[in-house]
Amino acid sequence: MFKTARSRFKAWLTAGAGTIAALFVAGLMGAFGALPAHAPPSLPADAATDAGRWRIEPVRAYVSHANVYGVPIKSGQKALVLEVDITNRTAQSDKAYFDVFKPEGIAFPDGKPMITLTRDSTLTPELHPGMAERMAYVWPLAADVAVPSSLSFAITAEIFKPRDNLYGVPGWYNPYRLGTITLAVGDHGGAG
Amino acid sequence: MRVRAIGNLAILAATVALSYGMQVTKPHYADLTAPVPIDGAMHDWVRARSFDVRLDKIVFAHTLKSDRFGTSKILTTSGVWAVVTTSLTATSTSTTVADGIWQGPTGLRYRVTERLGYRSDLPPHDVDPGLEKRGLYVFEVPADQIRGASLLIAARRFAPLDAQARIRLDAVPVGADGQPADILPEYDLDAPPAPGKT
Repeated sequence: MFKTARSRFKAWLTAGAGTIAALFVAGLMGAFGALPAHAPPSLPADAATDAGRWRIEPVRAYVSHANVYGVPIKSGQKALVLEVDITNRTAQSDKAYFDVFKPEGIAFPDGKPMITLTRDSTLTPELHPGMAERMAYVWPLAADVAVPSSLSFAITAEIFKPRDNLYGVPGWYNPYRLGTITLAVGDHGGAG
Repeated sequence: MRVRAIGNLAILAATVALSYGMQVTKPHYADLTAPVPIDGAMHDWVRARSFDVRLDKIVFAHTLKSDRFGTSKILTTSGVWAVVTTSLTATSTSTTVADGIWQGPTGLRYRVTERLGYRSDLPPHDVDPGLEKRGLYVFEVPADQIRGASLLIAARRFAPLDAQARIRLDAVPVGADGQPADILPEYDLDAPPAPGKT
């Protein structure tokens, strides 16, 4: 009697081990998932930060009412300008810096900024490995949109994979929110 | 019986070892479909699949001057400008040669600059068989990436299994600090070539 009960319990345990483990892991994951998510950290505004394939160091942010670095500003518009020193940390020339900065709390009519090299107003040139360049991100805005005097920029970075899962080639994948940089926003009549 | 079991185990172990070895030494897809390198030296013709290229001259400069739409533009850089003059010709049919990369001694790859805009003497170069053509490649490189560099020229930017000419730049005169022996303060891309030189 006892012998059969014990062997039956053993059989249940053996057959159900996988199920028990799965329930346990699922419960743990659910518990951790229910924890409040960590806010992305605040990054220093006056030091260089490694953000995936770019090393970034903000210089200044301001609102411009006149053309800035060759980017035309239409009448009835102004522009939020972020000047930043960017260095390519990868081994080859690259221009995937469009989504690195995103101002928080302002809705832009045409999402993506114009990005120019401040050196000679070239629009979106490739940046070369290890050569720091000052770039200006220019977001056009309607003239009546209020821009706070202290603005946070969300920083998006990517991770390097020596081999991706599809072709086995090296590359930068999986963009994630690295953190935010908060900058004071000045008001320039016609800088640049 | 025991001998047979040991033999089976040995075969199994050998199979596992062989399979593991094959797995870890399997070439990557990126290597399997990489361009086919064709090595060459400066001042020699390098014969790629669809074009021939000869590197004639390299000039280093701190600033570049380029005329566009009647106005001249001065381009500065945090490194140095390297202006590479090549002669190009097609092998069997008219084609274009579009890609140029300056590969530094540690493998960093600097693609031709995009800051000059469109010029007819910059890539993509239209080349025809039997007609030699002068083609420029302009790079922006840090001064420490010049000694031991090589120039990679291919017909297209993404050209799996197509030929890529790799020209060693070992004949570039560099000083003891790795800087080029003579860097011009300014190079005018539109100045007519000096007589007697290419």
